[in-house]
Amino acid sequence: MALLAIQDLTIALPPGADRPLAAEEVSLEVSPKEIVCIVGESGSGKSLTAHAVMGLLPGRVAATAGSILFDGTDLLREPPDVLRRRRGRDIAMIFQDPMAALNPVLTIGSQVTEQIRAHEDISEAAALKRAADLLAEMGLKDVATLLKAYPHQLSGGQRQRVMIAIALSLGPRLLIADEPTTALDVTTQAQILKLIRRLQAEREMSVLFITHDFGVVADMADKVVVMRHGRVVESGTTSRVLGEPAHSYTRALIAAVPKGDRYLPVPADSAPLVAVKNLTKRFRRGGVFSRAPQVTAVDGVSLTLRRGETLGVVGESGSGKSTLARCVIRLLDPDGGEVRLEEADIAHMKEKSLRPLRRRIQMVFQDPFSSLNPRETVADILIAGPKSFGEDVQEAKARASEMLRLVGLNPQTMHRFPHEFSGGQRQRIGLARALMLKPDVLIADEPVSALDVTVQAQVLKLLDEVRQQMNLAMLFITHDMRVAAEVCHRVMVMRQGKVVEEGLTRDIFTAPASDYTRALLAAIPGHGAL
Amino acid sequence: MRLRYIGLRLIKTVLVTVVVVLLSFFMIHAVPGDAATVMAGQAGYADETYMKNLRAEYGLDQPLPVQLWAYVDRVAHGDLGTSFVRREKVLSIIMERLPNTMLLDAFALLVAAGGGITLGAMAARRPGSAGDSAVTTLAMLFYAVPQFWLGMMMVLVFGVWLNWLPPFGIETMGADYTGLARIADVGQHIILPGVTLAFYFMASYARLTRTAMIDVADQDFVKTARAKGISERQVQRRHILRNALIPLVTYAGLQASILVGGSVLVENVFSWPGVGTLAFQAVLARDNPLLLGIFIVTSVLVCLFNLITDIAYSLVDPRVELG
Amino acid sequence: MRFAARFFSRPTSLFGFVVFAVIVVIALAAPLLFAHGPMAIVGMPLLPPGSPGLAAGSDVIGRDMAAGLAYGARISLLIGIASTCCSVGIGVLLGAVAGYYGGLVDDLLMQITEFFQIIPSFMLAMVLVAFLQPSLSSTVIGITLITWPQVARVVRGQFLSLRSREFVEAARVLGMSDARIIFTQVLPNALPPIVVVSSMMVGYAILTESALSFLGLGDPDLLSWGTMIGSSRVAMWVAWWTTVLPGVCIMVTVLALNFIGDGLNDALNPRRGR
Repeated sequence: MALLAIQDLTIALPPGADRPLAAEEVSLEVSPKEIVCIVGESGSGKSLTAHAVMGLLPGRVAATAGSILFDGTDLLREPPDVLRRRRGRDIAMIFQDPMAALNPVLTIGSQVTEQIRAHEDISEAAALKRAADLLAEMGLKDVATLLKAYPHQLSGGQRQRVMIAIALSLGPRLLIADEPTTALDVTTQAQILKLIRRLQAEREMSVLFITHDFGVVADMADKVVVMRHGRVVESGTTSRVLGEPAHSYTRALIAAVPKGDRYLPVPADSAPLVAVKNLTKRFRRGGVFSRAPQVTAVDGVSLTLRRGETLGVVGESGSGKSTLARCVIRLLDPDGGEVRLEEADIAHMKEKSLRPLRRRIQMVFQDPFSSLNPRETVADILIAGPKSFGEDVQEAKARASEMLRLVGLNPQTMHRFPHEFSGGQRQRIGLARALMLKPDVLIADEPVSALDVTVQAQVLKLLDEVRQQMNLAMLFITHDMRVAAEVCHRVMVMRQGKVVEEGLTRDIFTAPASDYTRALLAAIPGHGAL
Repeated sequence: MRLRYIGLRLIKTVLVTVVVVLLSFFMIHAVPGDAATVMAGQAGYADETYMKNLRAEYGLDQPLPVQLWAYVDRVAHGDLGTSFVRREKVLSIIMERLPNTMLLDAFALLVAAGGGITLGAMAARRPGSAGDSAVTTLAMLFYAVPQFWLGMMMVLVFGVWLNWLPPFGIETMGADYTGLARIADVGQHIILPGVTLAFYFMASYARLTRTAMIDVADQDFVKTARAKGISERQVQRRHILRNALIPLVTYAGLQASILVGGSVLVENVFSWPGVGTLAFQAVLARDNPLLLGIFIVTSVLVCLFNLITDIAYSLVDPRVELG
Repeated sequence: MRFAARFFSRPTSLFGFVVFAVIVVIALAAPLLFAHGPMAIVGMPLLPPGSPGLAAGSDVIGRDMAAGLAYGARISLLIGIASTCCSVGIGVLLGAVAGYYGGLVDDLLMQITEFFQIIPSFMLAMVLVAFLQPSLSSTVIGITLITWPQVARVVRGQFLSLRSREFVEAARVLGMSDARIIFTQVLPNALPPIVVVSSMMVGYAILTESALSFLGLGDPDLLSWGTMIGSSRVAMWVAWWTTVLPGVCIMVTVLALNFIGDGLNDALNPRRGR
């Protein structure tokens, strides 16, 4: 018999939400000792379905039909305190952002013992001993110090291990994991996934794993359930669904995952358009009088960019890749080194001489929601650049229509405001804005990281086409190796401010020289199966 | 590390006090007229010689920088000068009244915090409900009431019409109570002015608590707490309230100077013998030493109070490092 | 307009707006309604409301309370709006520069605002007004001086956070000048909290003005609500209307302004779904 059986579950959203139902007649089963993945994009209802199992639906969201059978009992019809006692003991849940999921003012130790003591009558000292053992089981070192530490003093990976320790402290039979690795670096993600797999095998428990990444599905799941717009679109064993996806949406999802095997050919040799030599940037936390230690975010980095070529800069958080991009485009002032745009060194130029050169380098930003001024129409956003260089407004408007068409949007929508567009559309607008000044160099700072996987694929394709059409030199910043392999001719791997390795995409991927690059490649989820 | 931080803050207090002295000094002396004019006016004389003698007596005829230097020198030795009007040492005059003001302020702070936090927590429990709207509207009302007028209404209603509580002064005149009886007497007298002073701040605390609790309740760690299966009361106390109290500590720090400033009005209406009434009288009489002295003492107290709240804040929120 | 619809859909905002409008009308119409002015003695002192020709009664020396209330509205509104305009003007200017450019300018501004936070502000206003000789202008100056730091802090905070938003970075990359960025990109997005703070400021200014007048530090030639309350102290027990009515006027005006501020806050920051 299935451990968890969701039957025809329907979850209604409060009036005023963008859709009436979060989930509609969702059915799925999790057997004992099985790992089931629910995979879908934003708005698929996967997360709320998981929350419904725990009885943690937010305020005005409610399950209006169907049943959730755990071991034969319908959780939806259980009285609240019976349900409360199940939480942690029979079913446990971990969430996406481990920093936000831990109480910032309580020690780690007290947060672990809290759960134990809520269900069992033991002393604080005994509970602490159990907590210490749990944390060690999770692979955490220096447990005694950890117990007395506060969440903000731990790294992302450590926090997620603590969360898992809390969840498993009473030996639940079902663990629900809601995108637990999405907020983590790729190498940390690989470690946490490995940890969950090990714990699942050792404790013989079932796992319901929510994710948007089919690569993770390939690595983790015995069975997979595909959700879209609140409905289950397809389900089955991982090997069947991956091998012979029945539904078109499943096929699209699988196809959208960047495979990292395109390995674009390098364009014919031309003179470098941009040459960065020994760029250095340091930061000091706090104000002018702060005594905090200085951090070297970018440490002597050099690179070249040619026309018609895309150079990918890949690194995890703290690698300095974003800082590098911002130094090249002079949003930050470098402390040392040079940035040559053809002949001119723009690294230390005064703003006045820099201004006319700004036309030649433009940028596409990461966050589709904060990269467009919410109080300006798309038209105003697009013509702002040309206008500030004194161009004729009518001409600029005409070019804006052209650009919108180029990025695949209807020019008639120019008079609308950003919030009326979807995330993917906003990124296209951001790209159009960058192209309005007819730049030679385009810097893309994680342009697709905030987008759904299917939208991501479309925007990547668009970026590549635009680069070809306008013969741009593109600097592409990303944390995702797969994405880099899709669009980049050459790749540069960064770590803690320094360049670890650089070369043709094909070479880096098939024959990485450094251990770190190898670790990054190994950490790519599903890189075997997909 | 903490000692070093405290040391630095104390130095900062001294610096701020110096700035206060300088600015106040210049401001007071920058405007036409001085104590001599006022006193002469009160005495009915407008005689030039009389005023000249008065000025010489008080050192008001010296050039400003000389006066300033003399003053700073005295303050550095702990002497805040002599009041023009009362002919007593400023420091002793202030110290006589200061405890009364501090008592009133402390009482008001406790009432405001206690009442405000309770109301705010109640409202946050069920946002959007009738109870919530009632609390929010009540808070808006409290903000709009003029403090001095409220005081007069309190005197009228509770002191005169209903005769429940004594409306004036800090203790019953001529009664000469001692010990517990005295405490009870003062306690009775402090209620009306204390509550009046607390009204405005109660509204602030209520609103702040409500907003803080609603914001915190939305955070992920509250979800985690519930996922652990602990009781709802524990969730409210250990997770929501505990985090919501953090911004309130900051707010308490900001209140210090507003409390002292506000007590001028309340002390006036209730004839409470505190520093506020002293300041008012000093303003009217152009009693510069007394006025300056009050500014200095209150600034030092506010700085110290801010130091205490900052330390309290660092104790309450482990993410904050001092210095 | 969506904004107007959002604003008026809240009962409290509507109430606040209507009440404030009524007060403005009364203030403007005062010379027409009470041609004899507020200072004229019209009868016996301390006549209760409802006495012939005296809808609100008469005060301690026999002046028309209703006229006093109507003319008092003029003063409260005038001082409230004037000092808020000055205070917001200074605060926005300094706060914007400090927030956008940061560095030493910002540190300096923070020290100055901290100084104003330490000095008891009402005492400062009291001293200023008294020493500059109580008048309409000295009151406005005094109130402006103690309220601008608050505005500056709010504006600084807004500019500080907006400066690092991606669309502002985009504007810099597009080659816009700093001035253009401040005015076209940052300021329009910083306006909502500025507008809200301003409306609250008017209420605060009115409260401060009435407190100063109550203490006798108001313009001696004018009769404001605070002065009326101050002069009613001797007769409070026997003639409640001399104290209660002006106080209610103050309360209602400030309440209306606060409701408007709250409504503006909601209307300008709707929770937009993603």
